[in-house]
Amino acid sequence: MDKQKLIERLKEIVDPEYVLTTEMDLALYSYDASLDKAKPDVVVLPDSTEQVSKIMALAYKEKIPILGRGSGTNLTGGTIPVKGGIVVHFSRMNRILKLDYENLTATAEPGVITLDLQTRVLKDGFIYQPDPASQKVSTLGGNVGENSGGPHCLKYGVTSNHVQGLEVVLADGTVIQTGGESRDNPGFDLTGLFVGSEGTIGMVTKVILKLEKAPEAVKTMLAIFETIEDGANTVSAIIAEGIIPATLEMMDNTVMRAVEETIKVGYPLDAAAVLIIELDGMPEGMEEKALKIMEICKKNNVREVKLAKNENERTILWAGRKGAFGSVGQVRPSYLCCDGTVPRTKLPEVLSKVIEIGKKYRLPIGNVFHAGDGNLHPLIMFDERDEDEKQRVLKASTEILKLCADAGGTISGEHGVGLEKLKETHFIFNEGDLQLERDIKSAFDADNILNPGKMIPAAESAV
Amino acid sequence: MADLTEKLKNISEKIGRDFVKTDLQTVAQYAIDGLTPAAVIFPKNTAEVSDVVKFANQLRLAIVPWGSGSQIRMGNPPRKLDLVVCTRRLNHMLDVDTQNLTITVEAGVKLRDIQARLATEEDRCYLPLEDLNIAADEIICSDRSHSGCFIPLDPPSSEKTTIGGVVAGSASGPRRLLYNLPRDIILGVRFVTPQGDVPGSGGKTVKNVSGYDISKLMVGSMGSLGIITEMTFRLMPLPEKMKTLLLGFDSLDAAHRCVNSILKTKLLPAAVETMTAAAYEHLGFKGAPEFSPGRVAVAISLEAFAPAVDRMQREMLKTAKDHGVLSSAVFDEHKHLQFWLAVSAQDAGFDAAYANLIRAKVNFHISQWKEIFEFADRSLTALKIGHAIRAHSGSGICLINLLMDRGAEGQKQKALAFMEELLQLSRKAGGNTVIQNAPADLKPKLKIWGEAGSDLVAMKLLKQQLDPNDVMSPGRFVGGL
Repeated sequence: MDKQKLIERLKEIVDPEYVLTTEMDLALYSYDASLDKAKPDVVVLPDSTEQVSKIMALAYKEKIPILGRGSGTNLTGGTIPVKGGIVVHFSRMNRILKLDYENLTATAEPGVITLDLQTRVLKDGFIYQPDPASQKVSTLGGNVGENSGGPHCLKYGVTSNHVQGLEVVLADGTVIQTGGESRDNPGFDLTGLFVGSEGTIGMVTKVILKLEKAPEAVKTMLAIFETIEDGANTVSAIIAEGIIPATLEMMDNTVMRAVEETIKVGYPLDAAAVLIIELDGMPEGMEEKALKIMEICKKNNVREVKLAKNENERTILWAGRKGAFGSVGQVRPSYLCCDGTVPRTKLPEVLSKVIEIGKKYRLPIGNVFHAGDGNLHPLIMFDERDEDEKQRVLKASTEILKLCADAGGTISGEHGVGLEKLKETHFIFNEGDLQLERDIKSAFDADNILNPGKMIPAAESAV
Repeated sequence: MADLTEKLKNISEKIGRDFVKTDLQTVAQYAIDGLTPAAVIFPKNTAEVSDVVKFANQLRLAIVPWGSGSQIRMGNPPRKLDLVVCTRRLNHMLDVDTQNLTITVEAGVKLRDIQARLATEEDRCYLPLEDLNIAADEIICSDRSHSGCFIPLDPPSSEKTTIGGVVAGSASGPRRLLYNLPRDIILGVRFVTPQGDVPGSGGKTVKNVSGYDISKLMVGSMGSLGIITEMTFRLMPLPEKMKTLLLGFDSLDAAHRCVNSILKTKLLPAAVETMTAAAYEHLGFKGAPEFSPGRVAVAISLEAFAPAVDRMQREMLKTAKDHGVLSSAVFDEHKHLQFWLAVSAQDAGFDAAYANLIRAKVNFHISQWKEIFEFADRSLTALKIGHAIRAHSGSGICLINLLMDRGAEGQKQKALAFMEELLQLSRKAGGNTVIQNAPADLKPKLKIWGEAGSDLVAMKLLKQQLDPNDVMSPGRFVGGL
């Protein structure tokens, strides 16, 4: 179908003002938070499931590549239209449809901003746990597509653990409901399969999320270490003690410096690393556990442990962590965040090798990450305009991911494979594993129109 | 069939004659809904399972995987049954990494052996080991890690079920309220596809978004997409303190008000199990002699830091008193474990004792548990059908056992009408009704998996793609898949 005709047909489905076609518009939808770029043929902003279904049916009939996107905060190129075609932007489908506190569920459209839902339910004493650092901007649909993580995943699990049902538009436009407002609906766990499928097997138009009662008490601590190794050892030791904090986040000196230059939160600039440790739940026993944690920190040569005395102090401690990625932009104009994950006991060893890799490629690397679940985020800082430097970054990133895979971990903890890690999938999967993924993809998308070129490397590229 | 016996020789040669059983006595023990397999095969590892499945796929033979058999009565009668593949010999714990709180095990490992392996040096364990009657020839792990953690699962038949069975059936119990479901703790899986390939997915990190989450797809797939052979799970430290509160009420209304006020607080019980007096009596639990269940008993499991358990006990007992509790009992540690083991064993006990038993697992909006409970109790009492009902209050699940013995033909017909009404009520309450057990002659007349939803079309796409020859558990699952 020629492009002009496609645009006309789309304008029959949605109000013409929501079909974007200018060069400027297309350029705006050509990138996300990763390093790649590619322009779509057209961008469309539907307002209902029915419209999405019609758009999909059109794409299906004409075999046009199509992908959905929210705010485009993803870090691996998941929303870049590498094969052109249609980008469906969910910004208008941003309604919270139902808050059912008796059933502990929230039903919402995919364009709702994660933090908006969280703020809304917290007012009533409930919590939606997944808290990706991008929660102020990211959408629920994006979180579902990528199976986003966040600091609180250590105790509460990732997005998938909090999604109970979905409305999904299949490739041919058929609308299905997976899971539901009740638990344990019979049949395959399609909800589990669609969460984290990066838009490659269907487009989500509604999400049913699990809510929990907000914890009664929270205790947040900042532990300051002279060496990264001491910090990493503390992480394992706390969990070995039978304590599962809500979060165990680590930040190294490079990142703390960047944070202090932008948001002043009072991190110690002469220390090698800090851990943010947060306990939540019933207050009984929490004091005792906090003392135990301090003892463990001391055993691991901590310089000092600060306890947030009130909500304000807690917010300040977290502001640094949440703003860390943004602050790193102060050091160099661009960064690449590797998302390799390792069993937590491997952290000290893997972290020291990451530092070596930085030295080898002459690149500054900052570490700010979810230490409790072994989810590294080495931020490799560089200038995108320097082609030589960019090439070194890509090599360093691949090497770091290989390191994680070899340590018994994986290449992506929470950011997804997207475009960026296609070749690294071979570090953890053999051809048979990948073939199963291709089979699943083709069950739902035989014509390969749904976010093509993402997540699963093509068979012939196998080395 | 003679032809098949001839062909089975190939597979016997590969995995050993002793492990391919075709004698009538053995195959009869593995009959499913009246269908007897031609052979029962006991492969010893994933590679052998793959050999068997390749063989079956070539000959278009139908396979049903079998762990301990504790859930084998679930599902539609198989459309065809040639081979039962028993995972009993896949009984190795491949990686017990208590420092990272993960474990990788083969499918035939028994849940109780995992809990035993994870116990503390003093044998503090999530199951009451000394009550399990473990025969000497059964494998129990001697190589204890003394770590004091557990795998947070309490499915039915915890004392005998295999971990592969728990995952394939997505089996859960009362304590899912705190610990969630098998889908929430599985990190990785390896399985044999209907073509005999052996792909894996996931790994041993809690966070992992590399590729499709195939582990979740396999959880609850009931052997219809392949045979799960290895799984990795996250573990938890053993709770510092464990305690049970038993509360007896003279009416469902009183129990309901009490349970709801408890669930509304910020307290975090591990389970709130509401049961009819009959369900309580059938537990045969001897640990609370002074306790009277009244008409409706509520059992609350508290598993947390010691001071939190103490506070929950104090506040919940007060709430119970405010709602007119008739009788109460409190016990901890060993008795606590014994009690929840008895709850877990109840359904299997009914299966063995009542030839015409029907069990429904109903799911619904969390707030609707009283309506479902009340409807079932009232209707079955009126129909004079003996019954035991337990609700996982707070999780939106109710288990209804119709205790019908041999010769209850009149009752069976009435039961069919009741099941249909129950299904419609559960649909109205936002859920569905799954029949977990029913006599073979009634199964064709019952909607075993409730009413299919709009997602059946997607399930069919998957099944056709992954099992085009319909080798794996044909016809047993939702929509006759």
